[in-house]
Amino acid sequence: MLVRGTAKHYPAAQPRARPARNAHLSGHRSMNFEARLSHQLDRGLIANYAETRGAHDELLDAAGNVRPHWQPFLDALAKLPAAEQANRADLLNRRVREMGIAHDIFADPAAPGKRWEVDLVPLIIAREEWHRLEKAILQRTRLMNAILADLYGEQRLLRDGLIPSSLLFSDPAFLPPCHGIQPTTGHLQFYAVDLARDLNGSWRIIDNHTETPAGVGYALANRVVHTQVAGDLFEACNSLRLAPFFQSVQAGLAVLTGRRDPRIALLTPGPLHDDYFSHAYLARYLGYLLVEGSDLRMAGDQIFLKTLEGLQRVDLIVRCIDGRQSDPLELDAGRYGGPPGLVQACRKVPQLVRNALGSAVAQNRGLAPYLPAICRKVFGEDLLISDTPRRWLGDAANRRYVIDHLDRMVIRPAQEGTGRPGGAQYGQLGSSLTESQRRTLLDEIELHGEMLVAEERIGFGTTPAFSPRGLVPQPFAVRLFVAGTSDGLSVMPGGLAMAIVPNLAVALSAPEPRTRDVWIITDGEVPPHRSLWQPTIETARVQRSQRVIQSRVADDLFWLGRYAERADWTMRVLRSALQPLRGDNAPAQVESAARACLAALATEEHAPPTQSEMESASPIESMAHHLVASKDGRRTLDDTLDKLYRVANLTRDRLSLEAWRVLSHFRPGADWRRALVDSPPEALLELIEDGLGWLAAFNGLFHENMTRNKGWSFLDMGRRIERAGNMSEAILWLFSEPLPREDEAGRLFYLLEVADSFITYRSRYRLDPMLALVLDLLLLDETNPRSLAYQLANISQHLGTLPQANPSGGLSDERRLILSMLSSIRKFDVEALAKDATRSDLQGALRKQLRLLPQLTTAIERHYFNLLEEQPHRVHTRLEPKP
Amino acid sequence: MMYDVSHRTVYRYSTPVVQSQHIVHMSPRPVDRQRIRGHVLSIEPSPTIRTERIDYFGNRVVLFDIEQEHRELIVHARSTIGVTAPGAIDFSATTPWDEVAHRISSPRAGTDIEVARYACASRHTRTTHDIAAYARKSFPAGRPVLQGAWDLVERIYDDFTFDPTATDISTPVTQVLAQRRGVCQDFSHLALACLRSLRLSARYVSGYILTRPPVGTPRLAGADASHAWISVWSPEYGWVDFDPTNGLTPKDEHITIAYARDYDDVSPIGGILLGGNEHSVHVGVDVIPQG
Repeated sequence: MLVRGTAKHYPAAQPRARPARNAHLSGHRSMNFEARLSHQLDRGLIANYAETRGAHDELLDAAGNVRPHWQPFLDALAKLPAAEQANRADLLNRRVREMGIAHDIFADPAAPGKRWEVDLVPLIIAREEWHRLEKAILQRTRLMNAILADLYGEQRLLRDGLIPSSLLFSDPAFLPPCHGIQPTTGHLQFYAVDLARDLNGSWRIIDNHTETPAGVGYALANRVVHTQVAGDLFEACNSLRLAPFFQSVQAGLAVLTGRRDPRIALLTPGPLHDDYFSHAYLARYLGYLLVEGSDLRMAGDQIFLKTLEGLQRVDLIVRCIDGRQSDPLELDAGRYGGPPGLVQACRKVPQLVRNALGSAVAQNRGLAPYLPAICRKVFGEDLLISDTPRRWLGDAANRRYVIDHLDRMVIRPAQEGTGRPGGAQYGQLGSSLTESQRRTLLDEIELHGEMLVAEERIGFGTTPAFSPRGLVPQPFAVRLFVAGTSDGLSVMPGGLAMAIVPNLAVALSAPEPRTRDVWIITDGEVPPHRSLWQPTIETARVQRSQRVIQSRVADDLFWLGRYAERADWTMRVLRSALQPLRGDNAPAQVESAARACLAALATEEHAPPTQSEMESASPIESMAHHLVASKDGRRTLDDTLDKLYRVANLTRDRLSLEAWRVLSHFRPGADWRRALVDSPPEALLELIEDGLGWLAAFNGLFHENMTRNKGWSFLDMGRRIERAGNMSEAILWLFSEPLPREDEAGRLFYLLEVADSFITYRSRYRLDPMLALVLDLLLLDETNPRSLAYQLANISQHLGTLPQANPSGGLSDERRLILSMLSSIRKFDVEALAKDATRSDLQGALRKQLRLLPQLTTAIERHYFNLLEEQPHRVHTRLEPKP
Repeated sequence: MMYDVSHRTVYRYSTPVVQSQHIVHMSPRPVDRQRIRGHVLSIEPSPTIRTERIDYFGNRVVLFDIEQEHRELIVHARSTIGVTAPGAIDFSATTPWDEVAHRISSPRAGTDIEVARYACASRHTRTTHDIAAYARKSFPAGRPVLQGAWDLVERIYDDFTFDPTATDISTPVTQVLAQRRGVCQDFSHLALACLRSLRLSARYVSGYILTRPPVGTPRLAGADASHAWISVWSPEYGWVDFDPTNGLTPKDEHITIAYARDYDDVSPIGGILLGGNEHSVHVGVDVIPQG
């Protein structure tokens, strides 16, 4: 039954129920009718809404009337039948899971705490409201930039007592080595604020994010997914699109480099980081290289990317790693998030890294109470939006006050510094502490007050959430994003809204990551859609840098090719062993061939099966199960799929969304994977068929969509090397000794099945399988994509297109090896090999290939993947004077 | 007293180093009571890039990058420095510590950043409940700040055993407190953590100390060593040095190279290597009084 359960995960059809674009503008009579109809449905959608809404609600005003800017959305939603609404809501979250919008990509996106859900109902903000917000947020961005310029410069704000000095000096985000580095366009290229409505409906800032782009990739992904599922609703509301904003973000970054053809990299901590999805998604959307610290190297005070062609200069780094971890030489020793020497490179070129290193200090929560005075002093302006009421506990008077009023307070770290949406920790609620917790907290406040803030809870406004029984009000907060663009600082016309638990939260700490898109209603013309996915002429320039392949990525693609092929082969072996036998063949002989392959594949060293193994009485199903998921086997299908999924994740920014969707079936813990291990033997065949289908789709997507650049060469070489090895091994196992004619026929039949060459053989020879002809087809025929010669010829071709790093002119190791393998196989005489009854010549020839293949892999790895032979490491000295 | 100081560090690597980047704090900064007559820092092999700068704390920093293969690196600092002993300091005439702490931490116009900078815990001087409790014994309410500091330094000298085998570069100060053993860096970090737990300003000083061979034996070349101690701020005397490892206040036998929040800010030499595999390091320090 588990098998059936997986069926619903086959890609579902796109919703087609798209109402005519101008439905609401059609004839008057029908409009009246529709209006009346939608009014009724409307009440259905919000029948029980008013009773449970918060003191301030986005949808309904104080009198309980729908606010006008929500009407178009409600109308459009109400036009969909109730079942269709629920379908859309489900489809939306299925797409989210397929896309893998989760905090930790190796985790099950459906697991508690890892879920990411997008509500069908967005948060809708009216035009006038948006203009006010925009103005306030831009003022704040300027203010944060001014503060950072001062803290990393003159420090007048400290000298004048506008910022308490120990607020800065207790914050490890303040990076003294970066003092004096002043980018001309300010420290911040990216900034985000978390806002909530208090009970009066006033917006309050509950957090600032000045370190990294703070999850803007999630907001973008939410929009993309929502538009796929409910693009008609979006269009009905005349909302602003995101693409123009990101185009100006690209242009703004390009201008900073002062180059026509800049190489811009997005620096991520790597796939194990919670926000990796957001980094990969953003890099992909903007067409930037996604790099990790080990991809970069400093030379001559400049930063270079390690590529297959050698070192190539990087013009700008979009920083998605913590500032402190960016340079093991001058910042946190032992943290290799960025290349050693990055700080020094920034001294030479202050706008090299965006946001500038050390910018996180401005998101210290303790700053909030001091901002109004700073704003007046620096700009002569009042702060347009206040922060949530907050006290910094580095101040002795605040400590005394909070200790006296602990029951009303929530205590939180001042320097938490997480940009992860929903990642903020809960505060400690004074009134809910036990006596001993209370004592510990008071102690902590006394000792480490500088690192804590106390907040009073403000209460939260509500916004509608979708449920199959109509809309329900839900407390919410929203993150809005700012970026430096070609037009100066701009606010992204959208955002990321999240549900919050009002009695605990004072920030965006969401235990249930129910997120929603944010739509800004415009009254003007919405410019036509120009997605960045299809590069326009202006952005094509930027996109081109994707052609550069980091050595690390080439390595990952090579192994992606290998694991995909290994999984494919293992499943083919399994399928041919399990499938009901055809009438015209001796079933016993075919089964014995299957046993030989299953037994050999399941051993770690792929040893040819012993006679006793082949005659063992265990049912073929249990041998198959052993190969799928045996606990002691290293090369089980289960293990190969784990590796495939993992390495695919490492190259995620190069996978298309479709490829990713297909791959999601192979995620450890996915339904199909669990079924594979747990299912009864008779269900295995059907599961294997599913798996082969998805793998074929995955490979096909690569084959059809991947540009034939160097990355492709490595992917394909990985696949070819694996296939060459698998084919050679199988022939070795099946024909290791003289066999009676009947047995040999059964084995030939099985081999042709596994190698997917049965049809080719039949149509070519119209004969029962004969060893010489089969060997010709599977070893020598360079036109058969399954033959050994085909694999070797292709590898040779790929190597010919790769850069030669051997200036002496001699042949590199890998080329020497492939030429020797090719020439040795071209010399095979299949007639003679087949006639030799001892099979020792065949064995010798195959063993030679199997010996050289790993050498070939090593040679390729050494040449291309280890441009620099090892990771940098740190040396210390220690002071040990005599007393 | 005038000194010739030589600080020579030799690294040898088991396989060639492809690239090495280093940051060096071996050039003496100007401080009160100290005159720098001469200084040379030589590096072999010759760096591809060598940069000198003054860091946020006012120390002289040399950054260098060697982009040619090498199996050996020699960094040699030679300085001629004159040191004068401080005048008399009356610890009991200083402001009560609690008033000093209040003055340092309350924001007001005219805040002295030079002082405020050193009042907060840093990576090696994290404060804990136990550290604060240890510190408080030397600082009953109202005690003059330098009297408290001197009491603390004496207690550390009495309570702790010098033991180079007990700690390494990553030993946290809480463990030093628990096991009551360590080296000069550990004792300095502990004293700083104690003082900063009270929100007093105190800084880490990196430098050299004159050592005397046992009577009747000749001075061995390269037998001296780098040293670390602390400096505490009071409104009356500004910064006053204390040496918890030797239980004394430095006169004219301590030579300052750099000071900052803790060891991390001013470690004499730190580097990142590409290649090199295993390395051996030999450090030779000579502090030779002139005439």
